[in-house]
Amino acid sequence: MIWVETIVNGILFGGLYGLLGVGLALIVGVMRVVNIAHGEFMVLSAFLGVSLAGLLPGLHPLALLVPVVLISFGLGYVLQAVIINRIVTRPDPFAAILLTFGLAVAMRNLMLEGYGADPRTLTAGTLAQASVRVAGLSIGVLPLLTLGVAVVLFVALQLVVTRTQFGRIMRATADNRDVVRLMGVNPARVYNVVMGLSLALASVAGVLLAIRSSFTAYSGVERLLTAFEVVVLGGLGSFWGAMVGGILLGIVQLVGLKFDPNAGPLYAHLLFFVGVLLRPNGLFGART
Amino acid sequence: MTRARVLAIGASVLATAVAPWLIGEGAQRFVSEVLLMLAMAQMWNLLAGYAGLVSMGQQVFVGLGAYCLFFASMSLNVAPYWVLPLAPLVCALVAAVIALFLFRLREAYFAIGMWVFSEIVSLLISKSEWLGGERGMGLRTARLVGARWLEPVTFWLSVAIAAGAVVGTYLLMKSRVGLGLMTVRDNDLAATSIGVDVWRNRFIAFVISAAGTGLAGAVSFSATLYVAPGFAFDPNWVVAMMFIVLMGGIGTLEGPILGTIIYFALREIVTVVFKLSGSWYLVGLGAVAMAAMLYAPAGLWPMVRDRLGIEWLSVRRHPPARTQDVAPIESQVSARA
Repeated sequence: MIWVETIVNGILFGGLYGLLGVGLALIVGVMRVVNIAHGEFMVLSAFLGVSLAGLLPGLHPLALLVPVVLISFGLGYVLQAVIINRIVTRPDPFAAILLTFGLAVAMRNLMLEGYGADPRTLTAGTLAQASVRVAGLSIGVLPLLTLGVAVVLFVALQLVVTRTQFGRIMRATADNRDVVRLMGVNPARVYNVVMGLSLALASVAGVLLAIRSSFTAYSGVERLLTAFEVVVLGGLGSFWGAMVGGILLGIVQLVGLKFDPNAGPLYAHLLFFVGVLLRPNGLFGART
Repeated sequence: MTRARVLAIGASVLATAVAPWLIGEGAQRFVSEVLLMLAMAQMWNLLAGYAGLVSMGQQVFVGLGAYCLFFASMSLNVAPYWVLPLAPLVCALVAAVIALFLFRLREAYFAIGMWVFSEIVSLLISKSEWLGGERGMGLRTARLVGARWLEPVTFWLSVAIAAGAVVGTYLLMKSRVGLGLMTVRDNDLAATSIGVDVWRNRFIAFVISAAGTGLAGAVSFSATLYVAPGFAFDPNWVVAMMFIVLMGGIGTLEGPILGTIIYFALREIVTVVFKLSGSWYLVGLGAVAMAAMLYAPAGLWPMVRDRLGIEWLSVRRHPPARTQDVAPIESQVSARA
């Protein structure tokens, strides 16, 4: 029974991992850029949550999501407009990686200076301990809520991409940024919004992860690697692939921790390696 | 080889040999650190600048090299320097195996895939009590060298490794493999169509780079007499390599030399002159790397080279001079007319 419970928790946790990866999958799909600072922005959103919780003590931690998400969207928009758009059209595929790597190093150490090296958590009050019993299993309300948030965001993103005018423009820009210019679309502005969305999604995952477990200024590396593993396992640029990849990683991580408590993310990393070995194009990216 | 070159090499070897008696221990340690960093940066440059493989997990070879040296030296109970060749050997072997499946990943995915690999190795070593676990282990066999000789030997090894990294990369780039690598970097489609084996050339560069990084890492940690996963597999190793190569000039042999000088000069200015913490120094490094990527993606060396008009370690090839026994086409045409 304990194993079933672990697997169920892994699925719930995995929804969060999927959310972690989907922001990265979005920019990979639209502009073929991997943002190495993705994990750092998640940690930054968690620190923002901590600061805002200090400023507005009465507010429920989940309500903090609203300002944090808005700030993160703005940060993403500005980051893309001011910096990344300058190099996104360069033929050198490493320009963006090296640029965002520099950004990640600077952000990590700025957060270290600003917030210190001690582990922090976001407290969710009674919600953190609350649980429901379903068919004899004890399931936490918070993980359930997390998966719910993840699924809602996935569906919303899917609808935006497939059903709206902006989604069509986004897909067209991803296909060919030169041709959309002929139709009166400014690719740079599309990229700004996409980066904003990417960091907004990352901030939701960042805050929810910070409620679940403690984090430090150094947590960005682990967050980035997880997001990246989700994207590669799921197949590049595939949203539902990211969800499935996230859930697989979540299950493997929690089951791994059950019989090897000090393993950390070891088993998730190993799953990624086996995945790359067996299916280099990811679970859902078999077309290319 | 010209007489001047022989003299210059002889003088450098002599200067290196007697240097430990002329400069203090602190200076020796600093020079060793600088030269080992130069070697690691040059190895990263070989990958990123010539083979088109950006790796964000090269710290795995720093750590593996160090652990090889520590483990072999302690378990055989011999002086660390006797087992030093094991470090590059094991790193080359690990690189050869890992390349088989990491080479399936392209560009950014390879870069981060290497990082994940480094994390896996680091986590596995943290869990291995026979390697000291998270606490790490000290190099007790260092006493077999004798305290008097520890610093000078490290110094000599560092000089040899740095010189080997620069000269070795130079010779490699002058070779067939190097030519193949550069054609792939410049136009992979054209290179493949004239029969350059992209995979094989990249594989060779990757294995050599791993061996060189492992060797430098092993010597670096043997000088501190202590290794732990947190230090050995620290991503800041690759941050330093990347910064040095980007600042100095990616894809040039002189670039990393210039970059290393800038890296250490900046560090001394920020931490010694301004007395700021190491994390402010890293903030500065990140910001400078971003600026370099935005405004001078080729790095500083090409600018210096063009300004001064010097080519020192250039691996640029010159087309063979036109010989006189084949008359130019125009003259053939006019002779016939």
